[in-house]
Amino acid sequence: MRTHPLESIKSRFLTAIALVTIILAGSLSMPRAAAAYPIFAQQAYENPREATGRIVCANCHLAQKPTEVEVPQSVLPDTVFEAVVKLPYDLKAQQVLGDGSKGPLNVGAVLMLPEGFKLAPEERMTEEQKEMAESLYIQPYSEDKQNILVVGPLPGEQYQEIAFPILSPDPKADKSLRFGKYPVHVGGNRGRGQVYPTGEKSNNTAYNASAAGTITSITKPEDGGYVVTIQKEDGSTVTDTIPAGPVLLVAEGETVADGAALTENPNVGGFGQVDTEIVLQDPNRIVGLLGFFALVILAQIFLVLKKKQVERVQAAEMEF
Amino acid sequence: MATIKKPDLSDPQLRAKLAKGMGHNYYGEPAWPNDLLYIFPVVILGTITLCVGLAVLDPAVVGEPANPFATPLEILPEWYLYPVFNILRLVPNKLLGVVLMASVPLGLILVPFIENVNKFQNPFRRPVATTVFLFGTLVTLYLGIGAVFPVSKALTLGLF
Repeated sequence: MRTHPLESIKSRFLTAIALVTIILAGSLSMPRAAAAYPIFAQQAYENPREATGRIVCANCHLAQKPTEVEVPQSVLPDTVFEAVVKLPYDLKAQQVLGDGSKGPLNVGAVLMLPEGFKLAPEERMTEEQKEMAESLYIQPYSEDKQNILVVGPLPGEQYQEIAFPILSPDPKADKSLRFGKYPVHVGGNRGRGQVYPTGEKSNNTAYNASAAGTITSITKPEDGGYVVTIQKEDGSTVTDTIPAGPVLLVAEGETVADGAALTENPNVGGFGQVDTEIVLQDPNRIVGLLGFFALVILAQIFLVLKKKQVERVQAAEMEF
Repeated sequence: MATIKKPDLSDPQLRAKLAKGMGHNYYGEPAWPNDLLYIFPVVILGTITLCVGLAVLDPAVVGEPANPFATPLEILPEWYLYPVFNILRLVPNKLLGVVLMASVPLGLILVPFIENVNKFQNPFRRPVATTVFLFGTLVTLYLGIGAVFPVSKALTLGLF
């Protein structure tokens, strides 16, 4: 496809603006300076759901934990409703932070709604929802994916339940949409990830020996963590650098196998995804259905009455 | 008050039928037109209404288009295939799994040929057949429940 050079410059410029806005909005919504989060997925994936049905958060948040979602069975068009994502976890649990110290867990969620659904505009939210929205910073996944909402990281103590205020679309206004039942995909996470999008391990995961051999030395650099030197059988040495955070399991002089755990796994969080369904209901269909019900009930009543009448004739004649 | 016809016990033919446990359609409320013409439509209309109501209030979901190159994270067949699906994934050898799956309909085909070994129909009078049936039902339910768990819990159901 050929595009006008000006056009392509314009689209690149727009992408750059969008990126900067996302990053700025992201850094503003992050109370604590730590790298993470929906932003990573937003930058790396056009669609947060892979063809296999896996939500991409699971690529970095490797542990599995349950996530629940509550949406209405059906919604009328152009209505504001709430989808509640629940992220239960043990509030006493502490996770390893970026600098190796312990701290409370953060939570985040992604809500993939059917085409046309989007975040409710502020003027249509209730007071309660407005208050929630101010502290939550729910944002659409990207410019052209307004039906996918992401939120996080949030302090987990306050937000084990995240309520998304959502506006349903009106198929009468937008002809590309239809009434019917659609799938909703939800991913919820608590705690830090185990790998960064670049593939590097975070300090919230177990570290393994990169070769079999004897541990000759374990040193502690000033910025925390350990440097483990392993001497292989052929005399050569390898070093494994472990960042501050995970607790060391081995000591100097021990022999380790290739891939054996050098540290404990400090991760206490995890990611979970659930699928559910929502019906976008046409109010005219409901009216029609109620009318049909009324007609049927009337017909049934008349049939029974007719039978009673015939019974009276039968009782009078009594010959059958 | 429904019209009830009393049985005419002076009729020897009816008495002979009643003695054999038959002839119950010779008395009571007539089927035509009382039931067939007036009450059947009531029931038929009710059934149609339930179906229409369900179709409007809870329509079938329009799923994603199928993609043969993307295996879903969790594969599960239709619910009525859960037990054999569990057999297939628990048995280490694929040929053995196929043989075991095929043996289910083959075993059922044998039933009509061997069920007359005992001439009674009453389940309490054919204890072997009843025991085999109940055991089979339990195993089927157990395997079916196991199919929705990960393979590691498919046999224990996560209870032990």
